[in-house]
Amino acid sequence: MQQKILEFTNILRKSGIRVSTAETIDAFKALDELSIEDRGVFRDALCATMVKRGEEVATFQQLFDLFWSGFYDSLREQFEEAGAGLAEMGVDLDELLKQIAEMLQDMDGEVGDLSDLARAMLLGDLNQLEQMIRAAAEASGVQNIENFLQVGFFSRRTLEQMGVEGASDELRDLAAALEEAGMDPDQVAALRRLIEGLTEAARKGIRNYTERELQQQNHDYMEKFRRETLLEKSFYHLSEDETRKMREVVERLAQRIKNILSIRRRRLKRGKLDLHQTLRRNMSHGGIPFELIFKQRKKDRPKLVILCDVSSSVANVSRFMLQFVYSLQDAFTKIRSYVFVAELGDVTELFREGDISQSIEKALDGGGVINVYTRSNFGYAFHHFWQNHLSVIDNKTTVLILGDARNNYNDPRAWCLRDIHNKAKNVVWLNPESPSAWGFGDSVMNRYLPYTDVAEECRNLKQLSSIIDRLVL
Amino acid sequence: MFDSVLDVEKQLSAQDYICDQKISTVVFLAEKLEKPVLVEGPAGVGKTELAKVVAAATGRRMIRLQCYEGLDEAKALYEWEYSKQLLYTQILKEKFSEAMAGSTTLSEAAERVGKEDSVFFSEQFIVPRPLLSAITSEDATLLLIDEVDKSDPEFEAFLLEVLSDFQVTIPELGTISSRTKPLVFLTSNNAREMSDALKRRCLHLYIDFPSQELEQRILETKVPGVEQRLAADLVEMMAKLRRLDLKKVPSISETLDWARALLALNAKELDAEFVGQTLNVILKYEGDVRKAQGELSQLLEKKAAKAHATAESVTEVPEAKAVKKGALH
Repeated sequence: MQQKILEFTNILRKSGIRVSTAETIDAFKALDELSIEDRGVFRDALCATMVKRGEEVATFQQLFDLFWSGFYDSLREQFEEAGAGLAEMGVDLDELLKQIAEMLQDMDGEVGDLSDLARAMLLGDLNQLEQMIRAAAEASGVQNIENFLQVGFFSRRTLEQMGVEGASDELRDLAAALEEAGMDPDQVAALRRLIEGLTEAARKGIRNYTERELQQQNHDYMEKFRRETLLEKSFYHLSEDETRKMREVVERLAQRIKNILSIRRRRLKRGKLDLHQTLRRNMSHGGIPFELIFKQRKKDRPKLVILCDVSSSVANVSRFMLQFVYSLQDAFTKIRSYVFVAELGDVTELFREGDISQSIEKALDGGGVINVYTRSNFGYAFHHFWQNHLSVIDNKTTVLILGDARNNYNDPRAWCLRDIHNKAKNVVWLNPESPSAWGFGDSVMNRYLPYTDVAEECRNLKQLSSIIDRLVL
Repeated sequence: MFDSVLDVEKQLSAQDYICDQKISTVVFLAEKLEKPVLVEGPAGVGKTELAKVVAAATGRRMIRLQCYEGLDEAKALYEWEYSKQLLYTQILKEKFSEAMAGSTTLSEAAERVGKEDSVFFSEQFIVPRPLLSAITSEDATLLLIDEVDKSDPEFEAFLLEVLSDFQVTIPELGTISSRTKPLVFLTSNNAREMSDALKRRCLHLYIDFPSQELEQRILETKVPGVEQRLAADLVEMMAKLRRLDLKKVPSISETLDWARALLALNAKELDAEFVGQTLNVILKYEGDVRKAQGELSQLLEKKAAKAHATAESVTEVPEAKAVKKGALH
């Protein structure tokens, strides 16, 4: 038992759940106090002592089910199937076994003469079989399995290690001997069939065991792989499922930045002495200022004006940037958002309402203000902004532009951006294309580049989060 | 003291707290292993309530420490009662003059005062805050550290020290160890991830929204007047609501509030009118309410249609019985 729990701990660790030695000891202590008859209690005790994060509980449950259960049951299923074949032929298994034992006695032998494996198979001693499979699998190094292609290899090795073929041959010989001794031909046929069934069941059982092992060993690997790649996967190539997952990741990242922000804010706290508060706080000290209270210095939170290209080519990038920015709403004093393809529309109102993800979908669809089914025209959009909305920019405003600057050979009207740049504190341009492509083809990025303070490639979540991180702090 | 996991479940349900096996297992272990429990989960699933009922079930006195940003040792552990010290000095002024009457030099006087200073730094002048009172308490206590995620990381580090061996060092008085080891519950809403060091010392319990069946049992225990059918409807509705993408997902406490509200309105079953009137009991954002309304009206229509169908079959059954009865007589 102890060994098994340690093994399980190892598997948890491999899956990225950090279980310390102290926690394992706690688990042992906990099991001392409980009866482990009840599976539910056993699981809950392990969970409470080893898993300390809410989001890891699901992983734990899966691994627990994989590790602690099922194999014996599946083995039983396989063997029952083999037995079921007999019933079809109208032969009772117990009856048959009894007869075999009797006949063997007449032949001066007994079932005990068979090898352990053959006997376990014939009598359906699953406990014994399970142990033998485990031992053989371990001896053949199945715990080193890494991918699905190796399942066959390790299964075969385990089979050989156990000597299943040998045991089957042994049983076949037994059947032949019984036939010679004058057993009823129907029964011999049934026995032969049973033997084949049992061999197959053992083979399946071993394969099953190997697959389980693979799942256990690799559980973490797949999970981690998915998470990491999501961070680095280009926004262009997200499937629908991944988009949904991505939303969670963005949320988590935003939460993290919020945490960091609150700590940094607190460090900035000290400003001038707050005389009023100090006197009030120190009344109980007879007015002697023991504790000093300082005014909080307010750090200027940036004002943000977002210009988002929502043409289909960059819609995904816009989606996550908007989500990111609006998850961090309270880090900014004011956010105004505009979307454009050729026309430019103000969608700030959409975000007044609570639900962020819905507002984003609406905004990406033009927000009822603009037509998104035209060709991108950055010059036109900037000009429109310059004419109608330039007043929203002041010297505390950061302008965040998101787009690929593919202008369809229209006039870029870079002077509009120049004026915006002159008025604003910062102009940040996020371009989902890599810098080497800027200025080639119909990209007019190079024309806008002089009027941006920061222009960066932003094609995956990692880049996005690092940019936003710098933006807020 | 609990005998077994089942016993925990029984004793807690005697206190009107219905829980699943997971919760009772952890509570049982917490008492056996004398380890703190870190309870996490969404708001309103009964984290604080759990601590309260465990205290009641085990006959421990509950001491509560509410955490908030800026909570420090002085408010959590102990504080010298400065004004009392000051008052005493003034009252005892004459005594001081007497004590120093013979001294000729300043240093001699200071030395004499120094000999007496233990008078002012004694337990008499200490204001015990929750942590210290939990440690010094004579009788068994349950210490509830509520919303520990709201506290600062520095406070968390300090908490570690206290939780690991239940003793506190006060420089003027020395080390005070606990007489009876308190049972500790920490609750967290996950506003901030707790440090691994703290987590390692605790048993972890994640309370999620209950299953429908469990929630119905809770509802029937907590709001005794509610009819079974109404309770079932309510619980089903809540489960549906939780599946929507809401800003604030309604929890158990909201289910209970809703049931009470409907009871007050004398509702026998859920219909569109009652739901419309009382939806603001469970949903706290305008956007959520609007989103839920569409979903719920659909559901209610379906339910009404079904109820209609069953009502017809129900009216048929008694007739059939009546006929049978008649035949028997």
